[in-house]
Amino acid sequence: MKVSLNWMKELLPGLAAFTADLPALCDRLDMTGTGVEGITNTGAALDRVVVGQITDKVKHPNADTLWVTTVDVGQDEPLQIVCGAQNFNAGDKVPVALVGASLPNGVTIKKSKLRGEVSCGMNCSARELGLGDDADGILILPEDAPVGMAFGDYRGISDTILDLEITPNRPDCLSMRGLAREFSTVLGIDDAVLPPVQVNEVGGSIHDAATVTVAEPELCPRYTARLIRNVKIGPSPAWLAERVQAAGARSINNVVDITNYIMFLTGQPLHAFDYDRIAKGDDGRAQVIIRRAHAGETITTLDDQLRRLTPANQLITDPSGPITLAGVMGAENTEVKDDTVNIFLEAAVFQPEITSRTSRGFALLSEASLRYERGVDIEQVLDAQTRACALMAELCGGEVAPDVIDVYPTVHQRPTITLRGSRVQALIGERIARETCEAMLTGLGLTVQAAPTPKAFDVTIPAFRPDLTREVDLIEELLRLHGMERIQATMPRTAHAGGLSPRQRLRARLETVLRAGGLNETMTLPFADPADGERFGLTDENAGAAARLHNPMASDASELRRLLITNLLHSVALNLSRGTRNVALYEVGAVFTATEGRKQPKEAEHIAAVLTGSWDKTRWNEPERALDFYDAKGILELVVRELAVNRFQLKVADPARLPFLQPGRAADIVIAGQTVGFIGELHPALAAQLEIDQPVAVLEFATKPLLAAARDSRGFVEPSRFPGIDLDIALVVDESVQAGTLVERLLSAGKKTPLARVRLFDVYRGAGIAEGKKSLALTLSYRAQDRTLTAQEIEPIHERIVQKAAASVGAELRS
Amino acid sequence: MSLIEQLTALGADGLASIAAADSAAALDAARVDLLGKKGRLTGILRGLGALPADERPAVGAAANRVRTAIEDALTTRKAALDAAALDAQLAAGTLDITLPGRARPIGAQHLISRIRDEIVEVFCGIGYTVAEGPEVELDFYNFTALNHEPQHPARSASDTFYVVDRSTDAETWTGPEPSDVLMRTHTSPVQIRTMEHTKPPIYILAPGKVYRRDVPDPTHLPQFTQMEGLVVDRDVTFADLRGTLDYLCREIFGSQVRTRFRPHFFPFTEPSAEVDVSCNVCGGTGCRTCKGTGWIEILGCGMVDPNVFAAVGLDPEEWSGFAFGLGIDRIAALRYDLPDIRMLVEGDMRFLRQF
Repeated sequence: MKVSLNWMKELLPGLAAFTADLPALCDRLDMTGTGVEGITNTGAALDRVVVGQITDKVKHPNADTLWVTTVDVGQDEPLQIVCGAQNFNAGDKVPVALVGASLPNGVTIKKSKLRGEVSCGMNCSARELGLGDDADGILILPEDAPVGMAFGDYRGISDTILDLEITPNRPDCLSMRGLAREFSTVLGIDDAVLPPVQVNEVGGSIHDAATVTVAEPELCPRYTARLIRNVKIGPSPAWLAERVQAAGARSINNVVDITNYIMFLTGQPLHAFDYDRIAKGDDGRAQVIIRRAHAGETITTLDDQLRRLTPANQLITDPSGPITLAGVMGAENTEVKDDTVNIFLEAAVFQPEITSRTSRGFALLSEASLRYERGVDIEQVLDAQTRACALMAELCGGEVAPDVIDVYPTVHQRPTITLRGSRVQALIGERIARETCEAMLTGLGLTVQAAPTPKAFDVTIPAFRPDLTREVDLIEELLRLHGMERIQATMPRTAHAGGLSPRQRLRARLETVLRAGGLNETMTLPFADPADGERFGLTDENAGAAARLHNPMASDASELRRLLITNLLHSVALNLSRGTRNVALYEVGAVFTATEGRKQPKEAEHIAAVLTGSWDKTRWNEPERALDFYDAKGILELVVRELAVNRFQLKVADPARLPFLQPGRAADIVIAGQTVGFIGELHPALAAQLEIDQPVAVLEFATKPLLAAARDSRGFVEPSRFPGIDLDIALVVDESVQAGTLVERLLSAGKKTPLARVRLFDVYRGAGIAEGKKSLALTLSYRAQDRTLTAQEIEPIHERIVQKAAASVGAELRS
Repeated sequence: MSLIEQLTALGADGLASIAAADSAAALDAARVDLLGKKGRLTGILRGLGALPADERPAVGAAANRVRTAIEDALTTRKAALDAAALDAQLAAGTLDITLPGRARPIGAQHLISRIRDEIVEVFCGIGYTVAEGPEVELDFYNFTALNHEPQHPARSASDTFYVVDRSTDAETWTGPEPSDVLMRTHTSPVQIRTMEHTKPPIYILAPGKVYRRDVPDPTHLPQFTQMEGLVVDRDVTFADLRGTLDYLCREIFGSQVRTRFRPHFFPFTEPSAEVDVSCNVCGGTGCRTCKGTGWIEILGCGMVDPNVFAAVGLDPEEWSGFAFGLGIDRIAALRYDLPDIRMLVEGDMRFLRQF
């Protein structure tokens, strides 16, 4: 809401004492709930331009066309100003730009010498002041112009406009009248009194010229109309144009400006119809009906748009059809034009909800719709109507017809709220004196009476404060006027324990491990591109059905993600495109799948990682190594170790289930027999589509089952104090034999023997090994708890174990 | 030359050859030459037995002197050579300590998570627990129970993402919005979910991602991270809210920071306030960061509205409480003066690794 301080000072003379210290005034407004979002000084460019009087004028000694003038600007000493204009005489009053003035045309005035003569300012033309195109000479002011007065003040073009943030609960503050009440209360000055207006009624009653029917009073609780005949449409007088412009509207013509002016003054939107263009009923009277739109009905609004309507819109209609989208925008067919003679003036109250939905539905936000959305003062409609009629008579020569149409079936009953002093203290933590409370509430325009119960008030609420419906709303008013700053800070007194839950602590530890493993945390948006779903081969079977948005911002963000890696891989591509080849990212985030019959999609927290490039290309003492499957697996193993995850294994995945991974390099992450995620390398064909030109290892799992499998401790085995024996073997096996299987077989064959550990240390293919075979080199460690083992003791055992295991996988011992 | 003279000469010669030995090998050769099985001194000593008995004591004593001198010289020389060898070895092993260390680079935490954890820690310290809730919410939790009027603008499909309802409700849906399933627009629904299943006293914090239909640009993203706080207890007052948030702001921005509470409006709190902290850049005198005001808006808060208590079946005469919410992205943008918050969701390694 834009508030002209000139206008406000006219309403509230006491405000003048506060406008000199503008920051303090704004602070007071901020701290009582009316946020000052901006301050504009109109006429600011005319700072340091004053009214001056030319006391002397002599020819410039060194220039034929210049004058050296002596100018009285109300200071101790007159100024010497060199001037090139020819249209003035000694004694003339003129606008003088002092040194330091910065004019609207961008010129900054400095002390200077013109052809040897000092010049301490400039006598200004209208054009130089931005007041018109007249540049022929300096602007000569009337003789009574007071010397030394700021020119902006003299011309009345200096104003300060405050841009105020009005919260949605304060419709009363969307008017100068309401804000004057608020200002007077927070500043402790007298409230505005709007002078009563009288309307001279002429000619036949409106009842003989028009009828109004409201179909659904709950959608239009009050509708008033007056008829003004024989108006002359023309430009507004300067004061009116200035007022509506200061409030942020354009000056259109006298009639439209009056409706806007009254709206800004009172908060009551008004709509002027061209009476003669409203269709008449059988009885010859304009027949105005307020009703819901029929499905498919259309209206061409003032912005020349054809709008298709539904019963969720309310219309003002005549027998020919819609003539206004109620409370939102008028129609071209009854618009006031230059040749309009008779005005049908509407001042009504429409239900906030239907008005809001209509204006937002059509993206037609206007000053009127804003006020209807927030709630218009139903008790004040006629006052606004009367003020507008009086101005139409005064400024447009209109003749106001007798009588008012006022469809107001349910007269507003003011509610009364009981306010207990004990509740005030209980809620804000401090006592506010009874007298102070009473004064503050009265200042807001509420009626305060002692309640039957002790230490309580009964407060009656006028219609302009629809936000005050409960005791707590009154306490809020008291707190903000008393000052939140004055409340002494305390802390809640009860003892209560806090901290992260065990699961939250575990997840934090899990993330620490991921970072220790080299992964950097990132976040992506939760939206997914259906095209990505296809590229990744996601189906309802392998990934669940995607949850869809009704109103996505773009077609490539119309679903919710089912996996985290889809968007993470786009981050990989972005890094590559920016020249970063080494990327190691993880994300913790929700994924969503829709289920037929369920309202909300199923939501699960996942953790995913992507790895590509190498750990660090700046490694100076090691060859660069490309990250692959085993780097991702290594990180997963760190997690499993740190969280002591029970029964963790990787299983070769069915390629149909993970089509986005390279077959043969894809595995299910299985915990306690349940698949919780996957790990693998990105399918090269998909990588190419994503503009990724190097191998990427990925992993993703659901957090919940992983954390559930974490153990507090993994048990304890006392380390042997006796040295053991390590024996190395190399076994040649078919390619199809997994190292893990061989290790398992060895361990199983070594059960109940001193075999403590089997560690794989090399995989070899090539010279000496047949095609389709590989050599696995392993270290078998033997330990006893109670003694030092000897070679003689272990060798036969070792032989038996190796032979048994080798036979079970068809391995040959490599010599 | 008498035997004693021979011994003296051998001693002098031996000491000279020991002193001349410039390596362990040369020293060893000198030792063998003198004391080895066929060494010169060994030879003389072996000949002692053949001497007349009266000469033996004098010659024997001389021989022992020479042997002791040679053995001492050998030990000393060996120590000197060892020390020199070690010095040479150490000199050769000097490292360029400015070369990078050898470890897998450790990953960085996202700056949003970092700030979130910082705030969570502050509140865990004063007895709060962390509550979580779904990101896809129902209208009831996101709006209705939080006292939003049916026509509240935030409900409009231009502001809020609506999700397709897959239940049978969708067939009979007649509401003005596309459905009553939505991406939560704030973390406040966690308040409702918590109050529904937890008996007061409640002291919770609810960090999480929220979504609004803002077109991405340098200062907007459709996703941001919020932190909600909720307290429900007996006799909780606005003064307690002030104290709690003063504490938070000092912990996050430093003990020099001042706060200011400006009355505001939120549907789910009454009274409501916005909280500003004094600008950390200029200290409150006014600068570009605080747009000349000396203050930076940092959170919204208020006393829990009685209608919210009613929605979860708590008696507002018995229980009171406060709630607050703050934007973590905003704190991040302020702290790091981010020129473009889209960086937060891009995953650029060069950005992420700075935090």
